Order: sequence, then C-alpha cells, then structure tokens
Amino acid sequence: MSEQMAIVTTGLTKAYGPVQALRGVDLAVQKGTMFGFLGPNGAGKTTTIRCLLDLIRPQAGRIRVLGLDPQADPVAVRSRVGYLPGELNLETNLTAAQALHYFNDLRGNQIDWQFVRNLAQRLQLELATPIKNLSKGNKQKVGLVQALMSRPELLLLDEPTAGLDPLMQHEVYRLLQEAQASGATIFFSSHIISEVEAIADRIAIIRQGVIVEEAEPHQLISMVLRRVRIRFRQPVNARPLAELPGVSLLAENELHITVQVEGELDGLIKALAAYPVSDLETERPSLEEIFLAYYEGEKATKEGQDVG
Amino acid sequence: MWAEFKHALRRLRGRVIGWSIGVGLYSLMMLFMYDAVLEIMGIEELLAAYPPEMMAFIGVTDIFAIMTPPGYLDAYFFGYMTVIIGIFIVGAGASMLVGDEERGILDLVLAHPISRTALFASRALALATATAIILLVNWLCWAIPSGQTQLDLTWGQFLLPFIPLLAQLLLFGALALLLSFLLPSARLASMISGALLVGNYLLMGLYRLNDNLEPFVKLTPLYYYQGGQATGGLNWSWLAGIMTVTLLLAAGAWFLFQQRDIRVGGEGGWHIPRLARRQTG
Repeated sequence: MSEQMAIVTTGLTKAYGPVQALRGVDLAVQKGTMFGFLGPNGAGKTTTIRCLLDLIRPQAGRIRVLGLDPQADPVAVRSRVGYLPGELNLETNLTAAQALHYFNDLRGNQIDWQFVRNLAQRLQLELATPIKNLSKGNKQKVGLVQALMSRPELLLLDEPTAGLDPLMQHEVYRLLQEAQASGATIFFSSHIISEVEAIADRIAIIRQGVIVEEAEPHQLISMVLRRVRIRFRQPVNARPLAELPGVSLLAENELHITVQVEGELDGLIKALAAYPVSDLETERPSLEEIFLAYYEGEKATKEGQDVG
Repeated sequence: MWAEFKHALRRLRGRVIGWSIGVGLYSLMMLFMYDAVLEIMGIEELLAAYPPEMMAFIGVTDIFAIMTPPGYLDAYFFGYMTVIIGIFIVGAGASMLVGDEERGILDLVLAHPISRTALFASRALALATATAIILLVNWLCWAIPSGQTQLDLTWGQFLLPFIPLLAQLLLFGALALLLSFLLPSARLASMISGALLVGNYLLMGLYRLNDNLEPFVKLTPLYYYQGGQATGGLNWSWLAGIMTVTLLLAAGAWFLFQQRDIRVGGEGGWHIPRLARRQTG
C-alpha cells in the first residue's frame, strides 16, 4: 500500500508561536496522480508543502514522501523531488542559466541540458537574461524549469502558474501532464478553480490547518451550489421548479427564472423537459463559493453539535 | 558540498577583491612609510610627546617600541586590523545563512539534495577561505617589497602575525553567525557583533592605561591577541584557546541551524511579546 503512495501525512500539526498553522493534516496522495491542494490564504498549504521537504518541522504527526521520512533522510527525499516555492526568490546577480547551473550542481550535475533548453524554449524564457531584469512571470518560469529539469518522481508546486499569462498557463499544464504521463506525481496548490478542473485528478481543500474535503474535482464542484438561469419561449408558471429538492428560487419574471441548485443538476434538467426552454445558462461556482459552501456546512454542523 | 563551497566563494569574490585591494594598498603605504618614520629628525622626542592614552588605543604600551619592526607592525597595522577587517567578517558571518533566509533564497536551495550540515560547512569554509585570501594578499603586500625597506623581517616573520589575526577574525565571524540564529535579523546580529568587537578593542585600550581592568579583559578575545609581537613566535596556547572558542561558537550556530524552521514571508519571526502587544494594542 505505502509503495503506491507518493505522500502520506498523518496528524500533521504545526504552530508558529500562538498561531496554529496545521491542526492534524491527513493526506494520502497516490503515485502518478495530479493532486490539487486548495485553500484560502493562511489555510496551511505552504506550511504543509514545506513540511514535506523538511524546511520546517512539525510539532506532531507522521510524514512519508516516496516512502521516506523527510526528517530522517532529507537529502534522499529532495534528490527525488522538484520544488517550486510559493514566494520564489532567486539570486538576482545571476542570469537564469547561471541559477539553473547552480541548482544542477547541487543535484550532482546530472541534468540533461538539452532538456533544460527545451523547457526554456517552450516557456519562452531567455536563459541569458540576468534575473534582476526578469519580470515576475519570467522569474516564475525559471522556478518551473528548475523544478522540472531533473525529471523528479514528485513535483511539489506551490501556485505554479502565479504571474503567468493564460497562454503560458496552458503550456505549464501541458508540461505537467507530460511529467505525469512519464510517471511523475504532481502535488500543487492553487487558487484557480479552472486550473484545478483542467488538470487535477484529485483535490483536497484545506482550511484553518485541517483538510475539510478530498474528492475528484467534478465531485467537489457538483457538491456545491450553482446558479442556473433559464429563459422560456413563452410565459410559464415556473414555481414548481423551485420546489424541487435542492433547488431554491432566486429571481423570476414571466420569461426568466433564476434558481440556485445544490448538488447535481439532473433533477432540474428532467423537470425542465416539460417546459418550453429557449436557453439555459449555468454559472460555475468560484473557488471562494466552494470554500464558502464548506464553511457554511461546517458552521451549521458545529451549531447543530452545540445545540445537541 | 564542493558545489556549494565554490558558489559561496564566488558570491564573496567582489567583497574579497575590494577588501584585498583596499587594505593591501594601505599595507603597502605603511610598509614604505617605515623608512620615512625612522628618518624623521627628533622622532623619539616627538613620540614621547604623544599622550599615552592615544598610544594605548593603537595598542602601544612602550612608546619607543614603535621604532622596532614588531612595534611598528602593531601600531600601524595589526593593532586595529581586527576591527577594520572585522567589519567584513562580522557582516558576512551574520548574513551567511540568515541573510539568504531573509531574502527568501535559502528555501529553494535547501529543497535541493544538500544537507543542512553540508550547506553550513560549505559556507563557513568559504567565508574562512575568503578571509584568509584577504590576509594572504596583505601578507604579500608586506613581504614582497619589504626588501626595499629597512623593515628587517623574513617572509615567515611577516606571515606569523596574520595567523592570530585570522583566528580573531574567525572568532568574531562565528559569533556573528551564532547571533544571527538567535536574533530577529542578520543586520541586528551584525550590529551587535560589531559593537562587541569595537567594545573589546576600546576595553583593551583602557586596560593598557589601567591594570585594574585585567580581570575583565581576560574574559575577552582580544586579550589573547598577539598582533605584531607574533613576528617573534606564536603563542600556541592563546591560539588554541581562540580556535576552541571559535569552534564552540560555530558548533552552537550549526546546532541552531539544524533545529531551525527556514522562514519565508515572516513565518516564525522573533519578537518581544510586551512590545508586540503595545504595538497591536
């Protein structure tokens, strides 16, 4: 079982003085998966990732990365992992190529330089440019190249597309998918729901240092609220639609109705078969709405427990 | 480890070149001034007229010893080079690891397959090597052209005082490194280490005027500094003592680095709770 897992954490707890960053994080990431790690700022995403590399030490809990304990054998773990920090800082007096050569030296000079050039070309990164002259997006590309260039078994990427334009974001998705196809496991944090949907096989949501949900992206999105706006060819009585389970009315007039649907759309779609629908528009929930849905759910559960 | 050592030394090269040229030119100037000083008419009367307090602060107790090669080296170079080159090593020591941590660079470096011990050792070795190069250049500046002057010392005799100087510098570098892990910023560690170095230097000046300070100065590193007097031979027990303290300070710094959470974006910052409350309140 553990041989199939790239990352396992159990009861991971970390505090910075009075601030409790992680409150018992339990994670299990299978090898070969593209795992999205979501959460609002300060939820514990970066802290979790940095614990995996032994950059910071948890107060309690157990960590295994590729079957190894990062605290007992950090060098062995890091030799098999590529990492992109959330706040990327590089030595500004080096060129991109010099920075990459330095990281290559730290990895024992085992990197195929042709592969590095290919990565730089695909990301439109000019390797001869001094880092101090690079934009935020181009610095991010240097970070991505250094993470990918050793063809690691596991990629830990904290906000990998931050600062990149949409075209470059898609190129990064392709690079990650290629890395996954060649057997790598990718564990990335993100705030962008479309990004997670596009590439992740599984996602986990962390909030206030606790994993509140883990699922496949489509399951997660289907579990939350979405708005549906329906236009009819002729005036209808749409009230029965609002009485369907999980459906609530937000606005209506003779030719339009806007409802909020919790969970899957199947019931609503089937009910609409009896209506003269001319158009139907659904609004996907934003990541913030997903978080909100979970927070509300959690709050309601807690209140229920308090009452009980 | 070799890769990191090379990289760390390369990062220090600008400072090494600057300090080597700057202090080296000063060494050459002082070397060629020796003959001129000896030839000054009535130099002995002039020296006797100097207030003893002033001479004490440049490390001279016997005013006429300044006419001898060891005394001259003490008065015009080794007496205060601990403070001058100390500025370099205290700054570099304090920022050796914590400086990179504050800039957010250390996070990514330590995500590569290099242990904390190897990183610490590589950078400490690079810093010691950089300091040794600065001193080596200065030794050559004294030794090579010395045949053109009346400063009658061999190359070996010129070399000897640089050894206790290096030992003292490494001690204050190790102190700055240790303090950088205990204090909230590399800059504060550098300032406090520098203040301790200058304070020790001034205390030694006062001690030369007042023997009653001996119990206190005996607890400070510069009491065990030979300066130019080392041209006559090294005090090995002093040197061993200074190196032992240096190793203990470095071991303390290494231990703290092993335990440390590598900070990014203000994580785990050090603060004084009462002050923090007052600010937030």
